[in-house]
Amino acid sequence: MILLVWAFTFFGSDIQKIDTVGLQEIEVISPAYERFGQGQKSIKWSQKDLEAYQSRSLADLLVDQSPVFIRSYGPGMLASPSFRGSSAGHTAVFWNGIPLNSPSLGQSDFSLLPVFAIDQASLQFGSSGALLGNEAIGGSVNLKSQAGFQEKSSLLLSQEFSSFGNYQTNVKGSISGKKLALQSKIYHQFAANKYPFRNLALPGTPIQEQDHAQVIQKGIVTDLNWRISDNKSLKTSIWLHQAEREIQPPMGSSTQDFQEDQALRWSMNYEVFKKKSTLAFQSGLVREELIFNGIENNTSQFILGGAWDYFPTEQLSFHSGARITLVKGDLSTYAATDERLEIFQSAKYSPTNRLSLSLNLRQLGYGDQLVPLIPGAGLDWTFLEQKNQSLELKISAGRGFKVPTLNDRFWSPGGNPELLPENSWNVESGLHWKKNSFSQSLTFYSMNVDNWIIWLPQGSFWSPQNIRKVRSDGVEYQGSMKFKTGAVDWISQWQYSLNRAVSLVGISQNDPSLGKQLPYTPRHQAGLSLQAQVQRFSIQAQTNYTGERKITADNPRTLSPFFLADLGISYTGFSISKIQIPLQVRIQNLLNTQYQVIYLRPMPGRSIHFTISFQL
Amino acid sequence: MKTKLLQLGQVFVSLLILFSCIGNDPERPLGEYDRGILIMNEGSFGSNDGEVYHLNPSTNELKPDIFEAANGRPFAGLLEDMVNEDDKMYLIANTGKVEIVNPGDFKSLGAVTSGLDQPRSLTVNSGKLFISDYGPYDANFKTPSSYIAVVRNTLGGTVSKKIAVSRKPEDLISFGKFILVAGSEEGKVEVIDAEKEELVKSIEVEGNPSQFFEIDGKIYLFSSKADEVVIYSFHLDNFTLATSNWYPIANATGKIALSNSNTLYILTSSGWPNYEDGIGVLPLFGTSLQPKWYEGSGFYGIGIDSSKEEIYVANANGFQGNGTITVLDKSRNTVRTFDVGRGPSGFMMK
Repeated sequence: MILLVWAFTFFGSDIQKIDTVGLQEIEVISPAYERFGQGQKSIKWSQKDLEAYQSRSLADLLVDQSPVFIRSYGPGMLASPSFRGSSAGHTAVFWNGIPLNSPSLGQSDFSLLPVFAIDQASLQFGSSGALLGNEAIGGSVNLKSQAGFQEKSSLLLSQEFSSFGNYQTNVKGSISGKKLALQSKIYHQFAANKYPFRNLALPGTPIQEQDHAQVIQKGIVTDLNWRISDNKSLKTSIWLHQAEREIQPPMGSSTQDFQEDQALRWSMNYEVFKKKSTLAFQSGLVREELIFNGIENNTSQFILGGAWDYFPTEQLSFHSGARITLVKGDLSTYAATDERLEIFQSAKYSPTNRLSLSLNLRQLGYGDQLVPLIPGAGLDWTFLEQKNQSLELKISAGRGFKVPTLNDRFWSPGGNPELLPENSWNVESGLHWKKNSFSQSLTFYSMNVDNWIIWLPQGSFWSPQNIRKVRSDGVEYQGSMKFKTGAVDWISQWQYSLNRAVSLVGISQNDPSLGKQLPYTPRHQAGLSLQAQVQRFSIQAQTNYTGERKITADNPRTLSPFFLADLGISYTGFSISKIQIPLQVRIQNLLNTQYQVIYLRPMPGRSIHFTISFQL
Repeated sequence: MKTKLLQLGQVFVSLLILFSCIGNDPERPLGEYDRGILIMNEGSFGSNDGEVYHLNPSTNELKPDIFEAANGRPFAGLLEDMVNEDDKMYLIANTGKVEIVNPGDFKSLGAVTSGLDQPRSLTVNSGKLFISDYGPYDANFKTPSSYIAVVRNTLGGTVSKKIAVSRKPEDLISFGKFILVAGSEEGKVEVIDAEKEELVKSIEVEGNPSQFFEIDGKIYLFSSKADEVVIYSFHLDNFTLATSNWYPIANATGKIALSNSNTLYILTSSGWPNYEDGIGVLPLFGTSLQPKWYEGSGFYGIGIDSSKEEIYVANANGFQGNGTITVLDKSRNTVRTFDVGRGPSGFMMK
């Protein structure tokens, strides 16, 4: 029943050397980025952590609970991540190990990734091209959906009603035996997004109702987990997603753009456990269709790879493998294909329980280009460990890279086939202190991104060039604490990040942006959450502060800082027969703050969300 | 940048006198922005951060974002053109609106905020606004439904009629109760009766007509072709072509400036793959044509301060941030440079 226990029984004590991670009631070999990512900051959310976000998008989760800045063009509109001042395309996004970023755009829209569709999420900060491959420059997002071996069946129906004519329906069913586990989720979101906002573009700045921001998203995710035999397992998942969006125009525009996104994602992982090693084979397919105002753009990626993990001693472990990616783009102005081959190797040495060192290497080729060898190395050292507290030092350095997107190379007119990959160097150091249920971490980082691609007007059209060089330095602090007062259990988390991301090389020697903070990159961000629970009743408060953002590279115009507060109350004590009926009321933007993340793109004010669930 | 931006000092005054469509409101005291140079910054696509800067050429004092400063709200649009007619300043945003302000202090007087798609320019005639508009894009990114929008109030309001014209109308100019429209994509000049709000005539021309200008009571049209530019004039009694002159200036962009000595300064760009920009000089009544009077890259707008005989060249700096203005003297020497707003594209010398 428990995979690792089963493997442990089969292989004896050697299996203990494999790093493992808890996942519901099953334990599996953890991903390579967790086992060989020594020295790098990471944040991880379990299935339980994600429960409060079941009707929200990945963008909402990261806004609330990470230092990643989300450039949101409105509720349900494009939401792209910025890790440590990097661009949206400098974030690698994976689902069950399959890259999700569009090969034509080079980024993902986080508003189209519902949290309900996934069971785990984690962030890796900094450049880790050696471990994660293409696009892991500022950081990476790893999502996982997986059926758990719970040896029971369950069914969940959840319905949320919200302000502004929005509602969401989620259905999740799972069945599980000893050898086979199946899970399926269906979701449907309708967001009229008819929220009031002050229209700054009109004389008198009247309050108006947003009338072109309707979003409909629906999808189905099915995960199959099959224990084929005592030492073989197969996991496969399929995710269909569709979104229809009226594109909310900026204030001052009356455009009526409409966008449809459809995605078919499939992943398969086949693992074979041997005495001192594991073999893993992976395949996946991502097909996306984007129709903007009737103009269709299609892309597909097929991935085939394998990896071998070897544990010769308790202190040593190795991970090596290769991956082939076939990319095809059939867009409105061009059609192109791309083949990528990469090989990777990682090694970890843990001379004591307190010290681990890792070295990672990756070599990637695409078309007739070869990306220079990508290295990465890190160290975790618990230099103080006492009965109730520990102090850990993390140090890492690594390179990242981004292959120019299909649009960068082939868009007509303007595509530039001569573009070089963007590349980065990242070093970081962190201290992690834990004392009982109180923990704090402080991370310093410095990153250089070179050959940064920007599109510039060239006569009557725009064309991309490797021009910009950017330096990003900063500090990230976070902490958490659990405590009890009387009958109340408290959980508190807080964070603060300081980032300085500036251009070192611009479009000319006199480029006024040189030395100035990158646009839409706040220097200061902070967050604080507090949860109190008494038996089956809980209340959660979440606050966020986002500092001022510059609109353009040379910084003459800024957007004001904003402070947001959310409040949630939930009760899980209702039930009818065997059906549990959890209830939740959530108030977002409690203070009704008027704010824009992106210039002239108004965000909604206070909204109330009521959720009722039926769980069997 | 449109003709209205090119009508300099005396030319502008002569327009006011000549064309009956110009209103005769009581004189008002001069405001801060009635003198000096207005710099039109188009803004960046998707950002709607167009704005107007004001330069006092005597002191070199530069005031940014004068619309926002006067009205406590951003312009919130891509600023396509500025037209000073009927003692009002019309700020045309190709994102779908026209803001109407007092020319002296830029305080808002009114607006046209609905019923427009991609407005390009404007003229006032018969107490109405006539606004050239590309119309909406179709699925092939074409604009087959271009029109002239009519607003029956010079202080804005609703669009009461749309007069269909050829694709991509640009500049407009009034003569009596008639309006000439530069139909840039199909090579036409269309004549509209402002009182009847009807298209009454269409004249075929070569190239891509983009700008009208006026000299000594005559209306001229600038049209560009790949290897040459064409200057037309019109018989204003029956709206037929009077003169047509071809000049060997290649790669003209359609952005021009007219000096008091009746010399046209024309922005050129070679486009892909070398992207060599330049300024060609065309004396309309002389012979010393200079197709490559000045060369550089990134040029996005041009203007002339005739009082100082200085040429203002706008560089958009790739729209990555604010643009730069380079001021040249008649000998092409750089007098000074300074930063302005995003995507500077034109000037109005007052």
